[in-house]
Amino acid sequence: MKPYSIARRLITTVLMVELVSAVCVTAMAWYYEQHSHFRSFDVLLRGRADSLLGSVQDAEDPEDNVMLDKSDLNVPAEDIYEVWDEKGRLLGRSSNWIGSSQTAKAERVDGYHNVNVNGKRYRSLLLHGLRIVDPGDRGGGVPHHVTIIYGSPTERVWGSVARAVKFYAAASLLLLLVTGLVMAWLLHRGMAPLRALAEAASGVSVNAWRFNPPEEACATEELAPLVGALESTLRRLEHSFFQQRRFVSDAGHELKTAVAVVKSSVQLLGIKPRTATEYQSGLDRVEADCGRMEEIVAKMLTLARVESADTTPEAGVRSINISESWRLVAEQFSSMAELRGVTVELSLPKSLYVSLRTEDCSLLFSNLLLNALQHNGRGTKVTVSAKAEDDIVEILVEDEGDGISAEALPHIFERFYRGDPSRNRNTGGTGLGLSICKAIVDAASGKIAIQSILGVGTKVLLSLPAARVQDSNPIELTYESLPRI
Amino acid sequence: MRVLLIEDENRLAENVAAALREGPGFAVDLAEDGQVGLYLAQDHCYDLIVLDLMLPKIDGVGVLRKLRAGGDHTPVLILTAQGEKRSIIELLNTGADDYLSKPFDLGELIARAKALIRRGKGAAHPTLSASDIEINTLEQTVSRAGQMIDLSPMEYRILEYLMHRPRAVVSKRELLEHLYDYNWEHHSNVIEAHVSNLRKKLDASSDQPSIETLRGRGYRLIVQRTGLT
Repeated sequence: MKPYSIARRLITTVLMVELVSAVCVTAMAWYYEQHSHFRSFDVLLRGRADSLLGSVQDAEDPEDNVMLDKSDLNVPAEDIYEVWDEKGRLLGRSSNWIGSSQTAKAERVDGYHNVNVNGKRYRSLLLHGLRIVDPGDRGGGVPHHVTIIYGSPTERVWGSVARAVKFYAAASLLLLLVTGLVMAWLLHRGMAPLRALAEAASGVSVNAWRFNPPEEACATEELAPLVGALESTLRRLEHSFFQQRRFVSDAGHELKTAVAVVKSSVQLLGIKPRTATEYQSGLDRVEADCGRMEEIVAKMLTLARVESADTTPEAGVRSINISESWRLVAEQFSSMAELRGVTVELSLPKSLYVSLRTEDCSLLFSNLLLNALQHNGRGTKVTVSAKAEDDIVEILVEDEGDGISAEALPHIFERFYRGDPSRNRNTGGTGLGLSICKAIVDAASGKIAIQSILGVGTKVLLSLPAARVQDSNPIELTYESLPRI
Repeated sequence: MRVLLIEDENRLAENVAAALREGPGFAVDLAEDGQVGLYLAQDHCYDLIVLDLMLPKIDGVGVLRKLRAGGDHTPVLILTAQGEKRSIIELLNTGADDYLSKPFDLGELIARAKALIRRGKGAAHPTLSASDIEINTLEQTVSRAGQMIDLSPMEYRILEYLMHRPRAVVSKRELLEHLYDYNWEHHSNVIEAHVSNLRKKLDASSDQPSIETLRGRGYRLIVQRTGLT
């Protein structure tokens, strides 16, 4: 989508609104000016018609006839007029007009009319007046009705109306222009915090996480939420980026060390001539070292797979009966438990289900059981219990092993963290087992917590969302899904 | 020569210790964490400390810093899995003498270890000579006036140690401490026999005595002023 400018949109909108109001103002001005001009024009027309009537009334005729005396008449030359008496006799007419016979009958009623004369627009007034002829000494006045049509060209009025309207239109246009410019300037100024924020944000990269939001942006009410969102997003991104980087660096360290072990084991054989038995035992050690490296690589790949996995049914997530799964896992480890003299006790309700991928589930349970078994002494017990609360299934794995120290406890889910190196070396831990457990539980939107007291034992509490029972497959244990012992 | 190896990955530690023992014939003490390592380094005399960086309890840099702050001048060879130039510069500035990146070559480790010990004792060349005695620390061969002398490993180590400090009196205890690991006290009665055998072999073809015994003080390599190199 083509990017658009908020400033341009705002300016365009405002200008459009202003243009519409300018058109309205101009139209109203046109109407008002026309109205007021014609009102005064009508008054003028009336006055002139009255003075024409006056000329009729004042005309003295020895015959006592009604007549128009033009001698005192002072009307503009372009005006037209016509005067009749009640018998329809024409008393007089302006020289530039051939008469009202050419106008429509409808216009021969009292009032103002617009007419076209000689291609010019006129406004005319039809007026009825009375001329009382006083016969003097004979006594008694004789009233005579006269009809006057008086018209004046409207050209000049229209001219003034047009001038007024033009003024309003020009003023509106000027206002439009000024508004546009002022708005552009104001918006440019007003958008400055946004530009400053964009600049500050574009300065952030994986090598420079420092984000200093410009003060002007923080002080802007509209931008403050954006600044906050940016800051928290960047903080989270930085955190996960550094976590990833640390993982890569830690993984590199682990792998380099593992390779160093294998390489030194091989090179040690060549330092001096050896007997066949020495070579044999050396090769055995090399093989064991290779196995350890293999295990580290396999666990890293498992962790990467678990962390990037989606949890849709298509991805193999099923409702899993936890009682059934634990039974299978415990069976798998029964010989190891027997060897170490540890009892595994399962007290699980029959009908608890969780949503997990089958291989993840067996990996999770077997990792937890393996941890418990490895740290338990002879004659002790590992107890696995579960209960459902609301929509959460809680699984508790308790052991009576040597526990985890308080200093180590906060770090146990960190990758490659080994609580006690000397102990883990004996058990061959890679420091990834619990990280994998946490990744699986996180992916299933669950929680994992560990409580431990040194010398007393460790409790691992898993809280997983309960699943609806639809297709509960018993999990299948495969070789790959099991942690190496 | 006695080396302290501080490394928590025990398979690697086993291999490096075996290589240093079997190759140049050093006595090697092992520490699995920084705390034990620092304690051993402060409590004993070592000719070289091989130090891993990622260590439990006190990390390698911490051990190095504490050692140098305590005025310890023992050469330190760092083993690191980090490849960042900056951390290496920091390490060398903190007082490390050399470093090796994992995975390293055992041959290179031995060569660097030898070079560091040599340098720590003020010798630049792998061949040491005093009077007419000459030893090649690379081939571990000894000659007197051009004639090759066949020595047992322990005799060679005693001679090499004395050659590093010509004309100085080296006590029996010092010899023991530098030639054996922390079990040196068990060997105290055999050192005299070794020195006696060494003297016999060295003096067989010469009328000049090579090593003198200073009663109650120790041993000294006799060096003629003219033959001093």
